[in-house]
Amino acid sequence: MLNLKTYAKVHIRRFVIVTAAFGLLAFQACSDLFDYSPYLIDFDESNSNVNQKSIDKLKSKSATDTITIAFTGDTHNFFDELNDFVGKINSDSRIDFVVHVGDIADFGLPKQYLWANSYLSKLKVPYLVAIGNHDLVSNGKDAYEVMFGALDFSFVYQHIRFIFLNTNSREFAFNGQVPDIAWLAERLQPSGDFDKAVIICHVPSGDADFDPNLKNDFYATIGLNKNVIMLAHGHQHHHEVYFPMHDSIPFVNVYGVEHRMATIIKIINNQILIDNVAF
Amino acid sequence: MLHFKYLMFLLFGMAAFTASDAQTLSPKADLLLPDYVKLQYAGGIGFMSAGVGYTFIKDRLDVTFFYGYIPAQLHTKTLHSVSLQFTAKLIKIPLSDKYQLLPFNFGWFIHHTMGNEYWIKLPAHYPSQYYWWSPGRTAGFFVGGELKTPWLRSKVPASGIALYARIGTRGLYLATKVGNSTLPVSEIIELGFGIALYR
Repeated sequence: MLNLKTYAKVHIRRFVIVTAAFGLLAFQACSDLFDYSPYLIDFDESNSNVNQKSIDKLKSKSATDTITIAFTGDTHNFFDELNDFVGKINSDSRIDFVVHVGDIADFGLPKQYLWANSYLSKLKVPYLVAIGNHDLVSNGKDAYEVMFGALDFSFVYQHIRFIFLNTNSREFAFNGQVPDIAWLAERLQPSGDFDKAVIICHVPSGDADFDPNLKNDFYATIGLNKNVIMLAHGHQHHHEVYFPMHDSIPFVNVYGVEHRMATIIKIINNQILIDNVAF
Repeated sequence: MLHFKYLMFLLFGMAAFTASDAQTLSPKADLLLPDYVKLQYAGGIGFMSAGVGYTFIKDRLDVTFFYGYIPAQLHTKTLHSVSLQFTAKLIKIPLSDKYQLLPFNFGWFIHHTMGNEYWIKLPAHYPSQYYWWSPGRTAGFFVGGELKTPWLRSKVPASGIALYARIGTRGLYLATKVGNSTLPVSEIIELGFGIALYR
């Protein structure tokens, strides 16, 4: 009987060559599995500049009198739930676009950005992702900028300006620059290309993670031109519609995806209709 | 290619390092000199990582200190890291007088990424326990195999070259995978391989 030792002694050269050849083949087959660092940002084209691509797609959509937006957020590590959300939205032909209100990467890891986007990219409609506090941990800001783009951005759809604002003050050590009130004020300046505005952010103004020194300026800026019809946010995982400014501007707290409830918001003639749909 | 240059630099560095072993050493110096140098590709601790270390418990445990490097060409900017790796060599099969197969190595590592954004202690602007993990210090584990050969024995002052490969994951990837059946297991796998020059 030939044991391994004797066999190897006789065939050592062959053994090594076969092993090396097999190793090379294995290397080819699983080159994606070679991981250099949890912080490596190496995104391909399909995982780059996602928000702007969605905005470009929205521009080509034909105008209707109703805008229907599906909201979710706070994905953290709830990818199975995110998968079901995507399935539900893909079966709903009313939806114009999807908004994720931040925290798609629980540890801010570039790999978690890739994982989250592997689900969101299966959406049939355009989707926009706001920046959350978890998304900013470690080099998450760089990952967000490569995958989604600027932390503050806006676009006009059907005469409504949608303003995505980075409100994660604590991640910037309450430096007085986040949220960028001056930029928000400029975006809300009435102009010919929009009538009303919707603000979307992660951390709401009433939260301890929002810079307390900017809260009054924030409210004053939102109220100044009487053109903001809604603010939608995440971070707190539960759903609620409330009026912190004691006027007609509703703040919509969007469910965390783990609750398996999507918040569907219809905008008809500048009026807001809110519906929650289970998935 | 730039990466190749770094690779050659590291290899020559390793050869020069082990060359010093060839000289007659005092017993004290002999005790302090590392037992091996390693050069590793991937494995979650760098694009290329150079390591030195010692063996303990009758050559059953390797404790290796690695410096890992990711050039800016592969990432948005250059990444530096250090890691401490423990490898238990559980099974040894002598294939011949000169070849030895280690089919089941088990190990774990602690990996420190350099840079202010990769903090270890939660910065002061967070309340305590705000984030439970430390981006600057992560850990993982792996299983692997190794083939010790007499190759280049006559050309470098080492007892030979060992080739090893490893497959593993890290805590933060595992924490993400838990509860997510739709996330493929292959997504959280970290493969790596390397060479070792033993004294």
